[in-house]
Amino acid sequence: MGDRDRPDYKILVVDDEPDLERLVRQRMRRQIRKGKYGFEFAGNGVEALEVLTEKKDIDIVLSDINMPKMDGLTLLQQIPEVNSDLRSVIVSAYGDMENIRTAMNRGAFDFVTKPIDFTDLEVTIERTLRHLDEWRAALASRDKLVAIQNELDVATKIQQSILPDKFPHVDGCEVYGCMHAARNVGGDFFDVINLDAGRIGLAVADVSDKGVPAALFMMSSRTLLKGAAVGVEDPGAVLREVNDLLNETNDAAMFVTVFYGVYDPSTRELTFSNGGHNPPLVVHPDGSSEELELTGGLALGAIPGFEYGQARIRLSPGDLVVFFTDGVTEAINVSNEEFGLESLQSLFGDGRTPAAREAAEMILQAVQDFAGEAPQFDDLTCMTLRVADE
Amino acid sequence: MNVQVENHDKVLVAKVEGRVDSSNSQDFERQLQGAIGEDVKAVVIDLGQLAYISSAGLRVVLLVAKTLGQRNVSISLCALSDPVQSVFEISGFNRIIQIYDTQADALAAAG
Repeated sequence: MGDRDRPDYKILVVDDEPDLERLVRQRMRRQIRKGKYGFEFAGNGVEALEVLTEKKDIDIVLSDINMPKMDGLTLLQQIPEVNSDLRSVIVSAYGDMENIRTAMNRGAFDFVTKPIDFTDLEVTIERTLRHLDEWRAALASRDKLVAIQNELDVATKIQQSILPDKFPHVDGCEVYGCMHAARNVGGDFFDVINLDAGRIGLAVADVSDKGVPAALFMMSSRTLLKGAAVGVEDPGAVLREVNDLLNETNDAAMFVTVFYGVYDPSTRELTFSNGGHNPPLVVHPDGSSEELELTGGLALGAIPGFEYGQARIRLSPGDLVVFFTDGVTEAINVSNEEFGLESLQSLFGDGRTPAAREAAEMILQAVQDFAGEAPQFDDLTCMTLRVADE
Repeated sequence: MNVQVENHDKVLVAKVEGRVDSSNSQDFERQLQGAIGEDVKAVVIDLGQLAYISSAGLRVVLLVAKTLGQRNVSISLCALSDPVQSVFEISGFNRIIQIYDTQADALAAAG
């Protein structure tokens, strides 16, 4: 109700009997006055289609069967092409089962018989409208779901589009990275940045939370990091700069954990700063391994003005550094057990460390084998740096 | 995941149980924010029964800490299990949010 010009529901009555309009207006006068029903009238199927084309807000078509120009059964076939968001009720002669069957097969929702019993007609109209309301509500929630799905697809595309798929060919080392995105998320990224004097910037990061906001936050984190990495020498200073920029606009208290290191192949030195990220693993040719130290850092975006420490190690020929996100070590199997750091470490035995690509793919495969049928909740990201053998 | 709230004078103690990850972090945020009244002067989050917290859960803790900071309400955490303690250490959040060994310690400091 409410709007006096617009009734709650609009009903199009199609009949070649001229007296019907007067009868309907008289018998339904109370519902018309309350603003519940509004009526339109047409004398045959052709006129009905004209009305439906012009007025898109008809909810019910109440149609006779036998009419000149276009009968009710033909009209039923034509209606969906003009308006699919309405329901049709057919008016037939009592006992005319053949036409009623045909009408129902052609999509009529219900029927009433002649002579019209207006009490019965009102019950039929109410029932039809209830059904229509439920149908429309179901459509609306389906549309909402589709919109959410589209949003999540956008997040996934943003995430995939920024990952490097070419890795630098540098004397003295090789680099590889890969990611298995969990369904419908956007959280992790890694980056390999060519710096001057043959040095390589290596970043792996994990944004808190999922979805489009996280994907956008990741996008700006990655862009800021790349910009800072090219202009600023020390990894600690790079993270400080990115952190301050991320804090300028971050009401949602999102944050990103970032490990950022600069590797110099000429000295085999890795200088790094850890911004709240799980520490990378250094694997030696004898199969032993240890985590890189934490450098007193903090996830980026949490608070401005934070000073990030840094550390430096010298790698040995054949060493493999595994950078990863917690999706790897916190992967869960069907028994709810975590993959854990020890499982990661136990993948490497005594002997030559695997090539960068082989190692990264082996790790993600091992995690997926471990998880089995358990759903993947988090992105799996793994980047590897392997120092060439002597 | 479940949040139980007790009031000790004007100190609110929120006990978090179970796992907090991206599937329930919004619910965690609602429960926590909803529990914090206007006249609270300190909040202690007891994580003794928290089995696991993901980065999505950390974000909620950070958000609550920031919101309370703006209102000059102190916030602290207590009774962290080893795995949860390690999540706070690796992320560096132990540097910006006060963490106590026991709820009694946290209450004494907040009192």
